[in-house]
Amino acid sequence: MAENDDLVRIIIGCKRGDSECFSQLVDMYASRCYAYFYRLTGSTAVSDDLLSELFVRLVEKIGSFKGGSFESWLFKTASNIFNDHLRDKQREKRLLEAGKKQLESKEQPVKSFDNDKFDKLQTQLGRLDTDTREMIMLRFYSQLSFREISEMRSEPIGTTLSKLHRGLKKLRELMELHYD
Amino acid sequence: MISRNEENLKDLFEKFFDSEQAEQAVEDIHKAEQILREYPSPEPDDQLIANIKTDIAATLQHKKTGFPIKAVYKAAAVAAVLVLAAIIGVNLFQKDHSEPERLAKASIIPTAIWESYDIAADDADLATLTAEIEQVEGDVLSTQLGENSSNGLGESTELETELIEINSDFWKG
Repeated sequence: MAENDDLVRIIIGCKRGDSECFSQLVDMYASRCYAYFYRLTGSTAVSDDLLSELFVRLVEKIGSFKGGSFESWLFKTASNIFNDHLRDKQREKRLLEAGKKQLESKEQPVKSFDNDKFDKLQTQLGRLDTDTREMIMLRFYSQLSFREISEMRSEPIGTTLSKLHRGLKKLRELMELHYD
Repeated sequence: MISRNEENLKDLFEKFFDSEQAEQAVEDIHKAEQILREYPSPEPDDQLIANIKTDIAATLQHKKTGFPIKAVYKAAAVAAVLVLAAIIGVNLFQKDHSEPERLAKASIIPTAIWESYDIAADDADLATLTAEIEQVEGDVLSTQLGENSSNGLGESTELETELIEINSDFWKG
């Protein structure tokens, strides 16, 4: 409860434009949001950019937060940023395909990671479709309940449960198949 | 809103699956999440966090300094609207209390003609006609009074004919 009160105080400070309160928000959520972006993109460079963009957008949009679950609101913003990035990437891919075939391999999901040292989990995550991967990461890093995730995605909770269960089961099977 | 910590996954899955399937689903989720915990993702660089905080401070500063300029623009827009409204209001007020405006400029006939009561002075032909009519009227009157001759009826008819001719000539131009 005390933690929740602190969060309320920090958000009120942010709404007043207090940079110290924003710094506290960064300290509280940067790690989880960065992990969320990293697991979705597989790139530290891209994750750096997306995290920076997230907090800049947070400063701009904090006034539109009208209460409820802050984490749900924050990760919804993060999800929007990731999807914007995906659209940009797809646009870039189409442009590249039109002109440079040699760059095609850059867009393969599993090979899309840059020179970062990526782990086994990252490789297998790359085998899942983007939507399932995003849902798993949302569940794991946002720590939202299934109900909150289903509301965020505007879909029935049964659909969310089913998709997440299938996705996590598949991830587990992939990990066991390749590394046991 | 139920938080994740308070969420009872088994109860939730049992709404959609039978008890055994629900139990299996919960186990699948726990095991998969255990794998996710075993592979922690990298942490953001300290320099990145410092940069983000600096960017936030700069954005906030920009917002603060940007506010008065916005306020000035808003005030200027409001003032302009008020001035326009005042001008329109004054014009409407004045129109309500003044005589209807004449559309003098649209007329090809000089305003003086419409305003003049001395028609004869405005037009030479009119002056001639007026003089002739007055003369004929005088003649008619004296004829009717029997001043000119004993054959009053014939002279009267003659004068009427003359009057018709004068009138006709005038309209012919």
